[in-house]
Amino acid sequence: MSSAVHQVAIPVDLWEEEVEAVITTWFVSDAAQVDKGDLLAEVMAEKIQFEIVAPVTGTLAIVKHQDQLIDKGDVIATITSAPD
Amino acid sequence: MNPTPEQKQWMYRHMLVSRLFEETIEKIYLEGKTPVFNMANGPIPGEMHLSNGQEPCAVGVCAHLNKEDVVTATHRPHHQAIAKGVDLKKMAAEIFGKETGLSGGRGGHMHLFDADVNFSCSGIVGQGLGPAVGAALSRKMQNKAGVAVSFFGEGAANQGAFHESLNLAAVWKLPVIFVIEDNAWGISVAKETATAVDRNAVRAAAYDMPGVYVPGNDPDAIFVAAGEAIGRARAGEGPSLLDIETYRLAGHFMGDAEAYRPEGEKEDLLSKDPILVYEKALLASGDLSDSDNSDLKECAKREVDEAIQFARESQFASPESALDHVFA
Amino acid sequence: MAAKERKLTVARAMAEAMAQEMRIDEHVFVMGEDVGPLGGVFGNTRGLFEEFGAERVRDTPISETAFMGAAVGAAADGMRPIVELMFVDFFGVCFDAIYNLMAKNTYFSGGNVNVPAVIMTSTGGGYSDGGQHSQCLYGTFAHLPGMKVVVPSNAFDAKGMMTAAIRDNSPVVYMFHKGLQGMGWLGTEAGATVNVPEEQYTVEIGKAATVSEGEDVTIVSLGMGVHHSLHAAAQLREQGVSAEVVDLRTLVPLDRDHIVNSVKKTGRLVVVDEDYQSYGVSGEIIASVVERDMSILRSPPQRVAYPDIPIPFARHMEQWALPNAEKIVTACLKATQNDE
Repeated sequence: MSSAVHQVAIPVDLWEEEVEAVITTWFVSDAAQVDKGDLLAEVMAEKIQFEIVAPVTGTLAIVKHQDQLIDKGDVIATITSAPD
Repeated sequence: MNPTPEQKQWMYRHMLVSRLFEETIEKIYLEGKTPVFNMANGPIPGEMHLSNGQEPCAVGVCAHLNKEDVVTATHRPHHQAIAKGVDLKKMAAEIFGKETGLSGGRGGHMHLFDADVNFSCSGIVGQGLGPAVGAALSRKMQNKAGVAVSFFGEGAANQGAFHESLNLAAVWKLPVIFVIEDNAWGISVAKETATAVDRNAVRAAAYDMPGVYVPGNDPDAIFVAAGEAIGRARAGEGPSLLDIETYRLAGHFMGDAEAYRPEGEKEDLLSKDPILVYEKALLASGDLSDSDNSDLKECAKREVDEAIQFARESQFASPESALDHVFA
Repeated sequence: MAAKERKLTVARAMAEAMAQEMRIDEHVFVMGEDVGPLGGVFGNTRGLFEEFGAERVRDTPISETAFMGAAVGAAADGMRPIVELMFVDFFGVCFDAIYNLMAKNTYFSGGNVNVPAVIMTSTGGGYSDGGQHSQCLYGTFAHLPGMKVVVPSNAFDAKGMMTAAIRDNSPVVYMFHKGLQGMGWLGTEAGATVNVPEEQYTVEIGKAATVSEGEDVTIVSLGMGVHHSLHAAAQLREQGVSAEVVDLRTLVPLDRDHIVNSVKKTGRLVVVDEDYQSYGVSGEIIASVVERDMSILRSPPQRVAYPDIPIPFARHMEQWALPNAEKIVTACLKATQNDE
């Protein structure tokens, strides 16, 4: 039995244009316990803000921080889910 | 009275300058604001409300105006300022916040004042009508020539100031023309959900003045309606209301994601770009030759480029000069 | 088990407070410009239209005189309206309904008529929006009797004070600073986005808070000024000066006891206010201390406030005029070095 590490990635089709985005807000801190569906962060591409939610329950490790630039497909965090 | 070929060219030329100015300002506005759109950044910070698509309203009306006539405008003023003859260099410098700007940088894009051509604009919806009434009153009292024109949007027609100003102008029979630029949107709120009547032109009847609805965003049609209204005012016959259908091709402000627009609306509007439509019509009727067209476009580009260059190369005033001009 | 951490922006906190109260009290409704599908120009009604629909989340025409007046009438008749004045600078077109009706009807009726309305309005500048879109006007609203005035500096207070404001049977003017909202396109002071409990709670209106303790000087502020003050306190710490930062949170009723107690401790006072300097909040704070007990002051009080000028558009002029951490540090050093 082992814990699984899941990636929290920006969906590759989240916005249309080929532009970078920025993480405008992290709603949880590094090492926080998150539940599936929790609102994790907000990213802004062009002028539209998108919500990024937790795909699984577990412990969050932030990879890309607030104000950092990101591309579609980028991994912004990982969530380590508890062992079965 | 329909516009003469010269007047048509005048209108077309000013629409070209206006649109080129807006497109240039839009590019510069985005400098420093990508990839992260933070409106505080860049050489032109703050809000920016562009007039792309609404040029016919400005030129159709201002074609009849002289320097001595007074215009009050709103947060979306560039096309009207250009049509009224505001100094483009000083206007650009003001938008950049430079010392050589119309107000030395104190006003910015929403507060452009040019006393030489009697143009001013302001940011509170509906509050330019009262001052236009006052300017008209002043001319009448002093027996001085000149009419006043107040430009505003269809959203402003729901402000108290609209109703009071029209009533006052009618009661005192003042030489003022109220011009609605109906672009169908008040930020995200569609006109139908905010306005009790289909056409604001009918509201003129409540204030005993002529109200004319001008559809189609067509400079010539606007020219004709404006000519009649301004003629009435000059002849001492009192105020009028013009309700002009136009389109806002950009967002309410730069940064507006425009999610509220129905699908396809933007593309449909872009296909009806009034400048392209007018260009085609003028070439077809022979009022504009191909070579004149090229010349006008080159002139427009030169005028805009010079204004922008002037703005970029000008200095900022000292920060402490923010304390100046609070009082006379 | 400790509650899960969950930060919210001020905008989301405001929207959550409204949603939670609207779920349990059908009399609460929201109206204003672009509050419906758009979710508010500053994001503070996000999600409300989707959940409650057009009956209870109403986009209005640009008719402030009418809908402010309507808020007063509806509140007097059993509803609990939350009405938005998009920019506080727009108060000029509807102020009669606010200061002459909303604020006075309870008094004029001898307590027989209540006006439980909340006016939420955006304040503040710093991003070059010019003289008619950047004002704070705290003093203008606080000065006139009959309306409570709250100014949250962070998301936790924002949610609690909104819930308290809605439940208050007196009218409350809720002034939120644009630079604290969490709007990506405006730039946000990160310190405003803090952990916010998921359940409903209130933050008592009328109570100031000491957000950072200190011994040498008391800095009193509100809204964005609290964050400038905290940055200044950090800089002062490195210079060996210990600053206590007090967040007013409410202007009316003003928590004078809290302010005086802090100045009793430190002996020195600096007030930070983004509103115009003269005839406003900064003068009121200083007067409140001085008239209570001048002997607790070891040096003349200082204020870092906006000069008495229309707010200029040009960025370098506006930034020169605004309160900032450096100015607060200078004022605090002056206060601590000028003991009498």
